[in-house]
Amino acid sequence: MGIKIIKREGGSFKDRIYLPAILSGMKVTFSHFFKNLKDTSNIKTLNYPEEMPQDITSRYRGVHLLTKREDGSERCVACFMCATACPAECIFIEAEERTDGVDEKRPKIFTIDLLECVFCGGCVEACPCDAIRMDSGIFSFVAQKREDFLLTKERLLSHQSMKDKEC
Amino acid sequence: MNAILVGVVLVNIILALLFSLGAAPILVWIERRVAGFIQDRLGPNRCHINGIRLGGLIQSFADMLKLVFKEDFEPKSIKESFFFSLAPVIVFSSAFLTFMVMPFADDLKIGDQIFMMQGLPIDLGILWFLAFAGLSVYGIMLGGWASNNKYSLLGAIRAGAQVISYEAAMGLSLVSILITYGSIHLGDMVAYQGTLLFGFIPAWGILMQPLAAIIFIVTAFAEANRTPFDLAEGESELVGGFHTEYSAMRFGLFFVGEYVAMSASSALIVTLFLGGYHLPWLNTQVLKENMTGVIAFLVVVIPLVSFLFARWIGKNNQWIDKENIRNRESKILTKGLLLINIVIISLLVFLLWIGLEETGTNIATAIIQIVTFAIKLLLMNFVFVWVRWTLPRFRYDQLQDLGWKVLIPLSIANIFVTATVVVVLGV
Repeated sequence: MGIKIIKREGGSFKDRIYLPAILSGMKVTFSHFFKNLKDTSNIKTLNYPEEMPQDITSRYRGVHLLTKREDGSERCVACFMCATACPAECIFIEAEERTDGVDEKRPKIFTIDLLECVFCGGCVEACPCDAIRMDSGIFSFVAQKREDFLLTKERLLSHQSMKDKEC
Repeated sequence: MNAILVGVVLVNIILALLFSLGAAPILVWIERRVAGFIQDRLGPNRCHINGIRLGGLIQSFADMLKLVFKEDFEPKSIKESFFFSLAPVIVFSSAFLTFMVMPFADDLKIGDQIFMMQGLPIDLGILWFLAFAGLSVYGIMLGGWASNNKYSLLGAIRAGAQVISYEAAMGLSLVSILITYGSIHLGDMVAYQGTLLFGFIPAWGILMQPLAAIIFIVTAFAEANRTPFDLAEGESELVGGFHTEYSAMRFGLFFVGEYVAMSASSALIVTLFLGGYHLPWLNTQVLKENMTGVIAFLVVVIPLVSFLFARWIGKNNQWIDKENIRNRESKILTKGLLLINIVIISLLVFLLWIGLEETGTNIATAIIQIVTFAIKLLLMNFVFVWVRWTLPRFRYDQLQDLGWKVLIPLSIANIFVTATVVVVLGV
């Protein structure tokens, strides 16, 4: 009937006295210990502040950035799509009329609270203008005060895209 | 009461302190770095005093300092405050007192006085160890109960059940050793292990009584509350086990007590089964007769070992950032090693040149035996750490099964076989 009988392991005398298995396990751990003691460069640990990770690609979801048009002004048209899509409600936008003829609206205030943000990427998906991205490659952000974690429009615009850096 | 007596007693007490209390930070360091290397990590290596890291040893001192200066927090739910504070003291002091009967060297003869080279000059030996090792569990149970916390209480109950199922097997395995050696004084046992079996094998306990050695080592792991038998802590099941509610130095005493207990267990294993302070084939008498040869051998070997160690330092002790203050360490260490070598070698050559009298030979023998004991102790402690990072924790019922159904019958059988052999051979 296609029934497969699986042989149970661990019943033999050698298995039941534990010691051979324990000794072989100790042999494995000691070989690791000795290899690493002999030459510590065998260890792949990154000495973090001195050595930075090299494997962060442009697809890594880091701190947000606002992209720019060719003339250097912000691409964002303050449509509130990102703020609507945001599950953490960490994007605060205040719109104003744009008078230089490039477009009709622009954000007067565009603030992201990094302490609220869950880095889901929903804002990037929602943006119709490719104005907000998360490919800055910044994975570490520290500050002394809570207020310093509020990213203003200027700071978001100042972040560089990894894609631009690669080109 | 004369100067020599006071001096030797002081040296003994300082040695006992060094091997137990002084070993605790070193053992913590060994534990972390060995764990790191076994798991292909680095382990703590950053902490430094003016660039001196000593391979991360400074981290242990920083941690001890932190534990001392932390807030000694006591939750309001604790009603028995006195017992809550008493528990770590019991654990620590019983672990510490266990060490007092370990012989570091053979009886030292200066002039016409003979000194026992152990912390307390008493010949209770194994009985003293069993008494204090059994006492330490009271501290754990008291702490777990006084914490007024279900996790702590569970940890304490586990510790109690574990000790009941292991202490019996441990005591019975010791009985067969007592029959073999014919004494409870640890010094006599080590002296016995200095003799040769069939004329060419050192009569170490592990060769005389292999089964008792295995049983005792397994139970010593349980006694010291180390993995694979650290059910009383069981941090993945019981938060922190019996020390969940403890903080600051009261936790520190538990923490240090665990390492001192581990060191004491290692010392007893070394004393009972691994020849104690004897080098293989070199018991006290042979060592005294060949002192000149031994010193000449040391003059050759010490520089060789130091050279290899210095090469290892030069290769592996480098910081990634070349400008960092930590990069000065290798040079300082190499120079320090060179200085120590020059001092030791010149001393040894001086001794060879003037020749040693009887008292001098006795003291030199004692020093060599103390160093041998320290190295064996360190290796046994390494085995404890090594096993901890190899084996997973036993399940509670498996542990009880192992204690009651396997170890106790085996040790009783071992007693019968040993007694029969001793009676038949009439040793």
